Amino acid sequence: METTARSKPKSNALRNVGALARREMGFYFNSPVAYITITLFLVVCGVYLFSMDDIATGRSFFEDNEASLRKLFDVIPVIFILIIPAITMRLLAEEKRSGTIELLFTMPVTDTQIALGKFLGGLAFLAITLLATIPLPFIVGTLGNLDVGALIAGYIGLFLLGSAYLAIGLMASSWTDNQIVAYLLAALICAFFYAISGMVSVVWAGAQDAMAALSFEGHFANITRGVIDTRDVVFYLSFVVVALVITVQSLQARNWK
Amino acid sequence: MIEVRDLSKSYDDFEALKGISFTVQPGEIVGFLGPNGAGKTTTMKILTSYMPQSSGTVTVNGHDINDAPLEVRKLMGYLPEANPLYTDMLVYDYLRHVATVRGVPKDALKGRIKAACEMCGILPRVGQRIGTLSKGFKQRVGLAAALIHDPEILILDEPTSGLDPNQIVEIRNLIKRLGENRTIILSTHNLPEVMATCNRMLIVHNGKLVADGTAAELEKRESASQRLRVLVKDVPGDAAQAALAGIAGVREVHERPAAEAAATRLEVVADEGADVRADVYRLAVEQGWELLGLEREVLDLEGLFRKLTREI
Repeated sequence: METTARSKPKSNALRNVGALARREMGFYFNSPVAYITITLFLVVCGVYLFSMDDIATGRSFFEDNEASLRKLFDVIPVIFILIIPAITMRLLAEEKRSGTIELLFTMPVTDTQIALGKFLGGLAFLAITLLATIPLPFIVGTLGNLDVGALIAGYIGLFLLGSAYLAIGLMASSWTDNQIVAYLLAALICAFFYAISGMVSVVWAGAQDAMAALSFEGHFANITRGVIDTRDVVFYLSFVVVALVITVQSLQARNWK
Repeated sequence: MIEVRDLSKSYDDFEALKGISFTVQPGEIVGFLGPNGAGKTTTMKILTSYMPQSSGTVTVNGHDINDAPLEVRKLMGYLPEANPLYTDMLVYDYLRHVATVRGVPKDALKGRIKAACEMCGILPRVGQRIGTLSKGFKQRVGLAAALIHDPEILILDEPTSGLDPNQIVEIRNLIKRLGENRTIILSTHNLPEVMATCNRMLIVHNGKLVADGTAAELEKRESASQRLRVLVKDVPGDAAQAALAGIAGVREVHERPAAEAAATRLEVVADEGADVRADVYRLAVEQGWELLGLEREVLDLEGLFRKLTREI
């Protein structure tokens, strides 16, 4: 009897988070948003991988003569800066603008459950977007020997990086009722943390290592090399946690007197 | 039971609520009445724990809304004034979403959704996207969502605003039916609405509670002194005035302009509790006046409402 009483709040929390996440997924797939986003992402990835020269080396995919998605994985973090804020901008801003936040705030859910539900809804969408690129490694695999380890590490890295962007996007969406503002703020913050080591090292070379420790790019480069270091995983997860905590705080700001 | 004590709320430099207190017993249907901007919606937003109060306390079945907001929210169903809905969802999916978050057990979901749809008359629309519904149907979807978990307490903020007269009657009947076994607080600036559905009314004005009671109590309270309208034919005004003033219990008599040329219209103010209508009739018979009209003016609720909420 006592166990059921204690386990009940936990199952309620799971049920609430699950229902909120399902609602977000439903929105993406009941509207054109999901299909447009995924198509755009696939087209950009495919065109860059096969038809454009590598931004860094200047060589095309076929000149490289290497069956690898490395070239693509290097630019996806930049593409994500433009696409993930488009996924997250509506999460809270739209609820505030349309007034449905009043329903959300008067239902028996905690602010943490709201933030988690929204985040997980976005994360599920990100996972589906990444899964949609699976044909690319298969195509590349038919052209030569694909390093499966590096490929899996690359996908894990993109998922971790994407989660951090998503959490930042949700945080930005909690600050405003204007979706454009939420999009721009999220893209700005993601771009800042992506490029911080490169930007700082231009003017202050000595700080490059310290800044690399803070930048998305530095941690992502480790992972695409096929090395999944706990430090890199912890780095991305701490970004997620900090952004979610700030989101919850900004939801709770309505109770400040 | 809902207990509100000295509730006040300020937005920046505007005082929306200036300390209101009231208690709602289980099973009551209470109408929250007041002109626009009186503080109705603010009160409802605080009761539903959407917004914090500036001071004062609210307890619902013993739970303080600030200390145990989740407990309070579980007890309540709420239809906000603007009736916000996820317009991209189908009616069924939306109700299912709300029911799930509201804690309706999985095996009871279908039954509850069906019951709520039937009650609100939206069963034929369950497969429709909410954004494509008319305003009346959207309102019913909002109402169905508010009662999907069979709450003890329903808070309805202007449930009939924007509906056509037929829809208004339907929603009022629905509210009355719902009120048979639950507590309902509804707000409106429409007096007939309160008369039609509520068994008690709270009138708010400028953030203060100016009246609290049943319709009968409020009418009685306001018609303490009585006014009679007397219309006689072919009688000089001065003579009539003097004669009427002689009746015991009559305080004042005034001559008022009459619509008909030969008639004299008089207003008689009598003491509280004194019914002087019979005396006026006997006087007219004695004097040989032709009595065209004799009527007691009752300050009706419309008049009371206007009197209480008039801007000074």
